[in-house]
Amino acid sequence: MRLGFPHAGTIYVPIRTLFQEMGTDFVMPPFNTKRTLSLGTKYSPEGTCLPFKLTLGNLIEVCELGADTLIQARGFGICRLGYYAKLQEQILRDLGYDAHFVKFSVSERFKLYGFLKLFKQLCNNASWRKILSAYYFGMTKLGDIDDIERLVQKVRPVEIEKGIANRLFNEALKAIDEASNFSFLKQVKRDYIEKLNQVPKNLDFEPLKVGIVGEIYVVLEPFSNMDLEVELGKLGVEVHRTISYARWTKYNFYLNPLGIDEWKKVHKAAWPYLKRDVGGDGWESVGEKVLHSKEWDGVIHVAPFTCLPEVIAQNIMPHTKEDIPVLTLLCDEQMGKQGTLTRLEAFVDLLERRRRQRRMR
Amino acid sequence: MATPRIGIPRALLYYEYFPMWKTFFEYLGSEVVLSPPTTSRMLASGSSRVVAETCLPVKVFIGHVLSLADKCDYIFVPAIRSMEEKIHNCSKFLGLPDMTKAAAPEAHILEADIDVDKGKRQLYLDVYKMGRHFTWNPFKIKKAAEATWQAHQAYLAKMLTHSKTPLQVLGEMLGEPERKEKDNSNPWARVGLIGHPYLLYDEYVNYRLFTRLEDLGVEILFPEKIKKEDNDAAIAKLVEKAYWTYEGEVIGAGGYCLDNEVDGVIALAAFGCGPDSMMMDLLQRYAKRQRKPFMLLTLDEHTSETGLLTRLEAFLDMIYRRKAVRNNVAAGLKTR
Repeated sequence: MRLGFPHAGTIYVPIRTLFQEMGTDFVMPPFNTKRTLSLGTKYSPEGTCLPFKLTLGNLIEVCELGADTLIQARGFGICRLGYYAKLQEQILRDLGYDAHFVKFSVSERFKLYGFLKLFKQLCNNASWRKILSAYYFGMTKLGDIDDIERLVQKVRPVEIEKGIANRLFNEALKAIDEASNFSFLKQVKRDYIEKLNQVPKNLDFEPLKVGIVGEIYVVLEPFSNMDLEVELGKLGVEVHRTISYARWTKYNFYLNPLGIDEWKKVHKAAWPYLKRDVGGDGWESVGEKVLHSKEWDGVIHVAPFTCLPEVIAQNIMPHTKEDIPVLTLLCDEQMGKQGTLTRLEAFVDLLERRRRQRRMR
Repeated sequence: MATPRIGIPRALLYYEYFPMWKTFFEYLGSEVVLSPPTTSRMLASGSSRVVAETCLPVKVFIGHVLSLADKCDYIFVPAIRSMEEKIHNCSKFLGLPDMTKAAAPEAHILEADIDVDKGKRQLYLDVYKMGRHFTWNPFKIKKAAEATWQAHQAYLAKMLTHSKTPLQVLGEMLGEPERKEKDNSNPWARVGLIGHPYLLYDEYVNYRLFTRLEDLGVEILFPEKIKKEDNDAAIAKLVEKAYWTYEGEVIGAGGYCLDNEVDGVIALAAFGCGPDSMMMDLLQRYAKRQRKPFMLLTLDEHTSETGLLTRLEAFLDMIYRRKAVRNNVAAGLKTR
């Protein structure tokens, strides 16, 4: 049995750690490239969303590398995500790969238990103690990446020599991924936070604040959104984003089963415009725009093309009373880097002009 | 107080639940106003209000709402979350009232939530909440709900046993002039027509596909004609368990058609429809394995009548030739 899993942002770090610690045989999926995308697009139905195509591309690539047990999400009452595994199973079978799917449910109340039980099963029924310690180590890594990323988002717009923060972030990601024990991990984190704090900064420059909301996969996978955050950093924009995998796991694994809802405030903010959960992240997208309309200068709404919940959000967002500019970026396989950059530049120009006018008043 | 007029748009779930809604509102003493069949103006006005990525049926729906806005006091827009346990609906239906409010602010909307997954108690409370708009008397609401349920069952039975299309049954109900029945007693082929009712029976959106097929002398097997057991069996065979509320119309009906004596299957889907984009692909793969002709027609506001007709004729020609070859009369192939 060789395990394989699809990419989704930095989620590969904890998963790889878990398998490495447990000594399970697994294939690390190659990072998303043009090839992944074209493989995925070629064998997917045309109307599906980008995450489906990219994850299918990942799964085909791991199958080529010899994986025969694939991990994919399932659930109910979400969006098309619940259908991914069903269809991808058939597509891979038609392509001639004899792969068995292991499905991880994302809509049960006690997700953590299901998740750990699944891993226990995959790791030859290893002891709970071993599983838990490996899991804890993986999650610490995810949390550390998140902490460093938050700092990078602050440094990117104000650094004097553009690109340093990003380079440091990539180095940190690699170092964290390779860290083999807690003390080393702690050291890495401290080092990189130190380095990021010492990056020469232009302190007179006041960056624009732009929030990024939208569908979790495309928000967190830089390949699918054309390195949105890096490009915004180059344009001198401070990115604010509440969605992250560390936060997702924190609430969905530990706090939601206890009855704590991280989005309560956001849902309350969205209430006058959207009263119901529409699956996916549609409700949260609307809520965050309304909630942060005072502190952010603008909102970039990222969604895959034909995403069900985000179409609803996209229809409702421009009609809210809280009036801040929204740029909707729809990601699909036809998306071009230059086109996206032009739109971003125009949007940032607009925000700057708005800020200037507001200050003159 | 004058009787309130409740507007019901002739779009989306109208084909599925209209008798139900009509009974409920009329029992509680209000007048039901139905929007006229879809026109090109409705579609144009609807699509001008929503973003381009929204699917065609929703654009049509918004058009209907706009046409009703000044003709009635309230427009009934339900949010149907689930009709069975753990099987949820497409996001477009979940957020329909909110989206309609954003897109058509001039319309007064009567919202209702239906979520069977949350349990019977919640369902009864939701129905009661809806009834409270009209009467204070909970017993009257209960009676109305019972009558509603019976009306719905009668509607389903009529389609199943008399093999009438929803369009015919609803036409009878509304007293619309009955169309002359085509003498279709001796069809040369049997074709399965699958898809959501708001595509199959909206004659503007699909360019009278139903009538056209009948004119061409083909017997049509439509989703409502298939028994629920057969439908469920096909779903269980293809995908184990349904994921979407209206999966039966597509996977269930399609699977049943492909398993049975049908010469080909024509599927209708709207561009940008999330559930259909995946379900149709699943069916296409199954059709390939079953070696049955399968044609997927994707509809949007740019679909041209001639293009659709050409594809339809080509598909039927193909079925004709297949049959001819099968019957070993390939030598004397004649055009119809």
